Amino acid sequence: MEAVLEPFKQAYATGLAQPVAEFLSPIPPGRDPGRLYDFYRASNDDKIEGEVRYALKANRKTRMSNKEAEAWIDLIVGYWRAVKQIILADEAANQGRLGDRQYLAVYDTWKDLTSSFIKHISGGSLPPWAIFTLYFTANHFRRIAIKADEYLARAKPATSVNSFSDDIVVPQTARSEKLEEAARVFNRVFALCLGDRNPDMSESRKWGVYCIANLQFKTYFKLKAISLSKNVVKSIAAQSDLPPFHLYPRAHRVTYRYYTGVLAFLQEDYAQAEKDLQEAWDSCYARSQKNKSLILTYLIPCRLITQHAIPSATLLAEAPGLARLIGPLVSCIKKGDLTGFDNALAEGEPAFVKRRIFLTLERSRDIALRNLLRKVYLAAGYDELKEGQTDKDRIRKSRIPLINFATALRMGLSGEGSGQVVEDDEVECLLANQIYKGLMKGYISREHAMVVLNKKGAFPGTRI
Amino acid sequence: MSLPTMTATWPAYNAVTPRTTLQPAPAHVGLSSPVPFRSALNSRPQSEIGSDASKPKKVEWPPAVRDYVRRAFDADNAIKGISSADMQMKLKATISFYAERDAHDAIDWPTYPLPQELLQEERRMAALTLSTGAQTNGHANPLSSPPTKKRKSQDSEELAALQADATIPPWRKTNLGSRMTFDAEGHTDKRHKKNAASGDAFSKFDQADLDKRRQRFQLGNNSNKTTPPWGSPRKEEDDASNAPVIGTNQALEKSYFRLTAPPKPETVRPLHVLEKTLIMLRQKWKAEKNYNYICNQFKSLRQDLTVQHIKNAFTVKVYEIHARISLEKGDLGEYNQCQTQLKALYALGLEGKPEEFKAYRILYIVYTCNKSDMNDMLAELTLADKSHPWIKHALDVRSALALGSYHKFFKLYLAAENMGSYLMDMFIERERLNALANISRGYANVTLRFLTDELGFDNDETCREFLESHGAQNMIEEKTNEKNGVHFQVKLRDVATLFESLRAAAFRKVDIKGQI
Repeated sequence: MEAVLEPFKQAYATGLAQPVAEFLSPIPPGRDPGRLYDFYRASNDDKIEGEVRYALKANRKTRMSNKEAEAWIDLIVGYWRAVKQIILADEAANQGRLGDRQYLAVYDTWKDLTSSFIKHISGGSLPPWAIFTLYFTANHFRRIAIKADEYLARAKPATSVNSFSDDIVVPQTARSEKLEEAARVFNRVFALCLGDRNPDMSESRKWGVYCIANLQFKTYFKLKAISLSKNVVKSIAAQSDLPPFHLYPRAHRVTYRYYTGVLAFLQEDYAQAEKDLQEAWDSCYARSQKNKSLILTYLIPCRLITQHAIPSATLLAEAPGLARLIGPLVSCIKKGDLTGFDNALAEGEPAFVKRRIFLTLERSRDIALRNLLRKVYLAAGYDELKEGQTDKDRIRKSRIPLINFATALRMGLSGEGSGQVVEDDEVECLLANQIYKGLMKGYISREHAMVVLNKKGAFPGTRI
Repeated sequence: MSLPTMTATWPAYNAVTPRTTLQPAPAHVGLSSPVPFRSALNSRPQSEIGSDASKPKKVEWPPAVRDYVRRAFDADNAIKGISSADMQMKLKATISFYAERDAHDAIDWPTYPLPQELLQEERRMAALTLSTGAQTNGHANPLSSPPTKKRKSQDSEELAALQADATIPPWRKTNLGSRMTFDAEGHTDKRHKKNAASGDAFSKFDQADLDKRRQRFQLGNNSNKTTPPWGSPRKEEDDASNAPVIGTNQALEKSYFRLTAPPKPETVRPLHVLEKTLIMLRQKWKAEKNYNYICNQFKSLRQDLTVQHIKNAFTVKVYEIHARISLEKGDLGEYNQCQTQLKALYALGLEGKPEEFKAYRILYIVYTCNKSDMNDMLAELTLADKSHPWIKHALDVRSALALGSYHKFFKLYLAAENMGSYLMDMFIERERLNALANISRGYANVTLRFLTDELGFDNDETCREFLESHGAQNMIEEKTNEKNGVHFQVKLRDVATLFESLRAAAFRKVDIKGQI
């Protein structure tokens, strides 16, 4: 036992959360794949507690108080029990008979470990940095819960929903029962962080607020209970004595801003979403491809709405996966190709719906339409020069027959597979819509079947 | 816990345990209650008292009170057997009791019994009550009642026991009792917690709620033969309290009552009676069109199905018909309940018209403007769904509105099938205002006929009425020209701001009874 606890002592001596968390990890490190097994073999159910106690207390080097030592003993014993179940589940898997029961045992022991962690931290037995070790433990707990739910779903498929016991039928019953349970545990951790009254900020658990919040966001998004995230945001906003946001670790900040941005995005508060996502983007570590791509997934649709801005090729190149997804859409917007846009949108619909950006991207059809109408305007050319005017003074024709726009739309939509017929009234309707939305300046005159555009800035933001 | 992904509406007759009786709580002798002489004021609800107590007032104590306190501490007045700590507690309780009520002036402090005397009296009376069981005595102030909070749960406990006695065989009693109390505890707990934690972020994951929910889930799981081992400890209990009732009532009609206890078999109609009921109700609806009656009857019909665990094509039919009727009457709250149930019933693979109701659901979400619901809905549709004409119609409505094409939208409105137009009626006015806001920016003026056509009105008259009722009465003028003869012009430019504000207001309020 002494030997297998040596890494813990070393980790503990660093006074850092992460090394200790690595010791308490359910996944063996790459350089030592047998570590969990060795740890498990070093003891047994009867002896484990005594051995850990002996190893920790006999060793005076660690210099921890009695209370703290007891807490660590409890945690290490809890960890050993979890490892035991992991090993048993592993063995079962190797024999091809890993069922939900084994994995639930892993889940339960890991839950116990997380709970005792919370208990000892709230009891004040552990050093302040332990809150971050708890974060890692909780994050593992999240993964284990997700996996446990998968096993459960396999064990009793969704077709067995028979609980029509009341007028309430809950579809997808209990498909993520364990993760929901985990969410409640995270809630406790969050409260533990937020409610720390330690006036000494350097020792406060308040530093853990954002990383635990992020853990909750991940859980709620996975649970499709996104609206619960708002509670987290609200309680953070209501807590006036948190350390300044910019002092938190960058990783916490980027993730937190990403999630608040996405939340605002889903509530169609695009201005706020853009602000938060931009902040996340600006602080995001340049080489975290995946994170950058995630941020752009929402930032780009956001800017399509707020600024009618389409992403540049270089920006899209930063996220190749995303470029494949929305690249076609973007080039159609640029060209004013409505049929192409509709096809690209339909093509990407499942992927867009999954990311919850479909309904927002759909709205960028307005920009594609604007670009098409703008072409009509440009094609109309200039008014003839009056006497004394030079080329510099010439102005574009501002009165354009409705039929021109109708023709353009029909050409734009007559492409392959569009199957759309555009009526004259609909052309007018679309034009009125553009004017209403401020994408085009002017008015329609039905009597003359003309569109009268502003002499200056007929298409705001497009330099004409 | 209510996870928002589950759009299930709580039905009106979900079994809960409200206080259905006003019978007073059993008299408990709360000797140690710190509040003396409560009788004069004990009509005040506990919650109010509690809230008063939670924010102590800064009071300048009147001299009479100060003198009273001085006398209480006077060694001459000490009574043997009553400790100084007890006395102080009592004193504090007495003074603050009246302070909370601003009643210090009403008390004649110099003659008011000292705390130690009060305590002595209480103890004496307690001894008396214990020995004789008598409640009354010569004292002007009878003993205080136990705290209301406790009483409430006792009440429902008792109620549960009572009902259990009345309706179910004794071997089930304990199970039921525990279930009912569990409910009651859940409620008090929740409120308690809500009061306690300000800025309460966690109420949605309230432990009691979650337990309840988990229990509910396990109820479902346990109805299977393949109960996983971790669910088994609860099995017996749940099976007993959740077993279907087998009805014996032969009457066709039955008024709806919200269940507060398991139903008695003699009040529940079995399936073959319900089938006749449905036929009767359909005829009555056609003949009389009395919605209140029909809705009430359908609710009791649904309840009877529910308590007997009947889930088959007939169940689907009942919900479908009720949903259609409530659509016809624009009762979206009731419709939404049916819709939620139908979604789940279809998921069980029961026969019905899932396409029709999917189409309604899309239109319904269009009405509620709930973007994330719409996203979920789109995610749920299969390719086959999307090509179904009814669903396609609903999807076209959605996309027409999303792209601002009111022209298309009103054409689709006129082409709606089934009950779709009733649903679209719910938001047609809103979309007309939206279109008018658009048109009033895009055109200087238009003819009335153009608006009639574009906004899907039946004729110029109704269109005109609509405009006038929305404050555009002065904008319509008669014009004559050679080409068109007499026609009406609408000067929209001038009312653009008006329509814009009307539009905004119309989109702001989507308020549906029964909607989560």
